[in-house]
Amino acid sequence: MQCFESGGAEDPDGLYAGGIAFPLLQALQKVNERLLKENPAESLLFDVILITTESQQQQQNSRITESIRHHGLKVSRFCFSNEEDFIENLLNNNVHLFLTTNRNEALQGSQKGVLSVLLDEHTASCPTEQLRVLFCGDAVVQSEAGSALASKQAAQSFSTQLGKMRGRFGPFDSPISIALVTSRGGRESCGDALRTLRSLGVNADEAYCLAGAPRGPIKRLLQPHFLLSECLSSN
Amino acid sequence: MSLEPVQVMSGQVAELPKVAPSSNGDSGGSWEGKREFDKDHLGLTAKPKPPKPENAVTVAVSSRVLFRTEREQKVFEQKGVEEYLRYQIEHENEPFAPGPAFPFVKALEAVNARLRELYPQSEELFDIVLVTYNHAHVGIRLINTINHHNLFIERFCMTGGSSPIGYLKAWQTNLYLSADANKVREALTEGIAAATMFMPEKMTEVSKSQLRVAFDGDAVLFSDESERIFKAHGLDKFFEHEKENEDRLLDHGPLKGFLEALGKLQKKFYAKGQRLDCPIRTYLVTARSAASSGIRALKTLRAWGLEIDEALFLAGAPKGPMLEKIRPHIYFDDQMFHVEGAAEMGTIAAHVPYGIAQKHNSKHNTSAGK
Repeated sequence: MQCFESGGAEDPDGLYAGGIAFPLLQALQKVNERLLKENPAESLLFDVILITTESQQQQQNSRITESIRHHGLKVSRFCFSNEEDFIENLLNNNVHLFLTTNRNEALQGSQKGVLSVLLDEHTASCPTEQLRVLFCGDAVVQSEAGSALASKQAAQSFSTQLGKMRGRFGPFDSPISIALVTSRGGRESCGDALRTLRSLGVNADEAYCLAGAPRGPIKRLLQPHFLLSECLSSN
Repeated sequence: MSLEPVQVMSGQVAELPKVAPSSNGDSGGSWEGKREFDKDHLGLTAKPKPPKPENAVTVAVSSRVLFRTEREQKVFEQKGVEEYLRYQIEHENEPFAPGPAFPFVKALEAVNARLRELYPQSEELFDIVLVTYNHAHVGIRLINTINHHNLFIERFCMTGGSSPIGYLKAWQTNLYLSADANKVREALTEGIAAATMFMPEKMTEVSKSQLRVAFDGDAVLFSDESERIFKAHGLDKFFEHEKENEDRLLDHGPLKGFLEALGKLQKKFYAKGQRLDCPIRTYLVTARSAASSGIRALKTLRAWGLEIDEALFLAGAPKGPMLEKIRPHIYFDDQMFHVEGAAEMGTIAAHVPYGIAQKHNSKHNTSAGK
């Protein structure tokens, strides 16, 4: 499974400070460690690729690699690209999940059928020992015309992989936790979402049916590293 | 993720929306927009919308007290969690039978029906939330069960093993009922009224049209300060202390807030001239005696602006027979001795593990786990 990260913030010591996605990367690593512990021959692992389109960062590629090493992160590949080509890069590298804080990049990725997820500042305070993924059952889907189907398929396929990974662990003490939240609908819509997830091979650990109650407090408690909604949309 | 601006759905039946079939995804609106559009103006017999948590009296009920899950519990305890999950999924389409909190929940719904008749626009209603420690993928059986029993529960919380207390707080829960004393204690320390329920051998029939809630006084509605005196220094000192402090209010106990919430709803019926026919009735069932120590309790209630419909001062007599006459949907007491005594006579009693009495409780053990 391949994930791209993009961007990173600078610090005066010449190393990049931990960016928003740090806890996420640490959690992904944790999952890999545990997967290999269960089965040293495991092949379904997370493979993290770092991509940057900022030329300043590209010129300092050694700084990036130093920083990565300094922070103990495992990144399998670095990809320096320009803005026009980076989507091609994603497709060529068979990326299953593209994570970015840049809304434009996320939209472009989606349009080309790459599952693209927008990270926000909340990701920075997420746990590092467990990967927490939140499926939104009845969220608003921001997709441009034509991209919806491709993006949805990418989402479904990623979810299935995630479900498989989750299945390698027991109900408790899992390094992956999958939660579902339905915001507006009642119990039937949550039940439907659970069944849809199940049909994709995803057994949700947690489910919250809000039926109109405010989402913010729940999301704050859940601390998901990222959110997925496309595979539960109706088209 | 931010919500999109309001879009009005056209031609939709005013049911709680599933994901909309429009081509660019769900066009959900803000909470207010949706409600105005479909609730009253279509005049259809739609399922009413759950109220906003801050307006409602939120009662969170665990799956183990709303339904009977003894068989599943046994599978979990004897065969482990994997087998338990497998069993649940295998029996997914078999609804659970009603548990000890079931009559209480049905009575809350009956009150809601009356409130909706009198105040169709109001959100001051009971909101019942199902809470379970189960993993979500076995939660489908719970949804099927709710459907089977026609319960109006649209909010739930399946935590997959973690504590629901954060969610209870986020939903401004007014009362939490669970089978697990540890979880109840956790809720109490967080300031949420909570009690442990048990499945009695027999459940006497209770009213379907009037919600009856009975409370013990000390360490339930009031603090346990007087109990402490009694436990430390005996009955005489207790009486002396109460007499001396007759005009000093008792401090509040963990369930005072819930009584208050009930009182607010009762006043809505009184305001419409339905005092005699009020579908909520509250009772104080206390070992205090009317002539002496009970006075302080009454003065305290009055000072709090709380009305209680019937106050029964037993002066130490057993509570069981009195409760059998009242037939409450739930009776809250801090002492297991009384809870067990009530249950023996078929009363649905809930234990509030609060205060000094917990150190002297019987060797009652609640089972942990799901």
